[in-house]
Amino acid sequence: MADLPAFIWLLLVPLIATPFVYLVGRIFDVRGNLIARWAALVVLGVTWLPFILAVLDLDQNGADSYTLGTVTLRFDELSLLLAALSLGLSTVVVLYSAAYMQYEGRQEKYYACLTALTGVMIGLGCAGDLFNLWAWFEGMAIASFLLVAFYHEQANALEAGIKYLVQSAVGSALVMLGIALVLANTGTLDLVEIRAAAGDSTLLLAAGALFVIGFGIKAALVPMHTWLPDAHSQAPSGISAMLSGVVIEAGLIAMLRSVAALAGVSDAWGEMLMVFGVLNMVVGNLLALRQTQVKRLLAFSSLSHVGYMLVGLGVAIYANDATGAQGSLFHMLNHGLMKGLAFLAAGSLLYTLHVAAGSHAPLTIADLNGAAKRYPLTALGLSIAVLGLGGLPPLAGFMSKWQIFVAGFNTHESWIQALIVFAALNSVLSLGYYAPLVNALYREEESEAVVKGKRLPLTMSIPVVVLSVAVIVIGIWPALLRWLAEPAGDALLATFGF
Amino acid sequence: MSDVEILLVGGFMLAGVGLYGLLVIRNLIKVVVAMQIMVKGVLLALAAAAETSGQINLGQSMILTVIVADTVVAVIGLALAVQVRRVKGTLDVRELSELRG
Repeated sequence: MADLPAFIWLLLVPLIATPFVYLVGRIFDVRGNLIARWAALVVLGVTWLPFILAVLDLDQNGADSYTLGTVTLRFDELSLLLAALSLGLSTVVVLYSAAYMQYEGRQEKYYACLTALTGVMIGLGCAGDLFNLWAWFEGMAIASFLLVAFYHEQANALEAGIKYLVQSAVGSALVMLGIALVLANTGTLDLVEIRAAAGDSTLLLAAGALFVIGFGIKAALVPMHTWLPDAHSQAPSGISAMLSGVVIEAGLIAMLRSVAALAGVSDAWGEMLMVFGVLNMVVGNLLALRQTQVKRLLAFSSLSHVGYMLVGLGVAIYANDATGAQGSLFHMLNHGLMKGLAFLAAGSLLYTLHVAAGSHAPLTIADLNGAAKRYPLTALGLSIAVLGLGGLPPLAGFMSKWQIFVAGFNTHESWIQALIVFAALNSVLSLGYYAPLVNALYREEESEAVVKGKRLPLTMSIPVVVLSVAVIVIGIWPALLRWLAEPAGDALLATFGF
Repeated sequence: MSDVEILLVGGFMLAGVGLYGLLVIRNLIKVVVAMQIMVKGVLLALAAAAETSGQINLGQSMILTVIVADTVVAVIGLALAVQVRRVKGTLDVRELSELRG
């Protein structure tokens, strides 16, 4: 046991601890599941230890792998990026949920699912063969079904949960069909061996299409996105932050890993990613413009941000230029921070204005009117988050979008440059729905909900402040995350065989 | 066509039947059944693929894993269906369309 590499502990600790978090919370059911909450926090805190060891190990010895029987787990820079994102965000979310979930019953399930979700997402990044990738992916889906439908007495949450479940189940079945085609054709499931064995075959191209559709459902590629706004808006706010900040990105990474194994089958993967990127930007931005509910608006903006990432990745794969991939993965990290901040800040307002009063009404933009006077920190956090998402300098979102755009212009191809101009225009368009949020927050006259609003618990402000500071600091000093994003971009391009 | 190819094509067709069912069926319990049919097609295709590539052991372990994961999904789906019936008093998916736009 002692000679297991650090990254195995990184994914084992949360997974082994999950049943204990549940049991401890279930058995010592006192004062609103205080014990389960602390158990989850301790587990995630302990997981940071193997994380640091894994970072050091990766830095010294390069990518590592571990084989148990026929299952191979590989830990490279991309796995590290996903692990950092999911572990960081889930730690913040557990802190935040202490107050947010305090009136809900049976919180031990919530915390157990959250630790399990963190563990399986770290595992997903480490999967070394296609079937393993699918198994982690399915584990992630199962943990998130339970969290999306956590308000199981609410008709809307059930509707969102069922849409999510059915679409995910179809996606995972399609992925399995793709795996069957790959296995029948190449005789192996190892991602590296497939790339060597894959020839120019129509069946393998079909398998690639099945992977894109199947994993794309979870990554919310338009037109497979219809579950996303419902699930994001109906889940508890901490879970919305996790879904938007990490889960769809994990789906994207799963898709990239599987497509990379089939990189030799077609040379149009880059173009395909760019086409999906354009669709995601347009549909996400246009649908977000007409939203009146804050969480739904943020959910649609996730679609457009997946679009920016896809454009950067597409450019990188098309032009064999690592800058685009690095920019996209940097944007993935920034988006996790900014969208996490946006959902947590919006969730704080939802909590004080509605949830604490026992209502499950959605938070509308009109409810936000004048909120800055009573809740200055939260309002500032939400403003920083949405302005960062809109790409205003000097916030984090500007830096990563800039890097993606620079990569596009460096290709010196006029149609890609036109595409980048289009993406930049989309980024401006997105301010059309972010700005009214900020405007509403700082209005003079207070809405009825704000006047009746409850006091905000301190534990909900701390995560908002921490993430706000992170968004500003990374915007001013982007090199802070370069050690994560740049090697991950190089590792991703390397898996495509460049 | 060899036996294995027939099995592979049959698996894909069965999955197609399940997918078609998901598109037309309006009852939540039957939706879960259609999901199950789809996954059963997937299992056939996996078995055929494992046979073609001569890796029976790999195929068996994959199929067992899929069965387990799929059962969990079906259980959650049915639990959600029960809860929908309790809250809304119907299993018709057309009644579940409040979230739009």
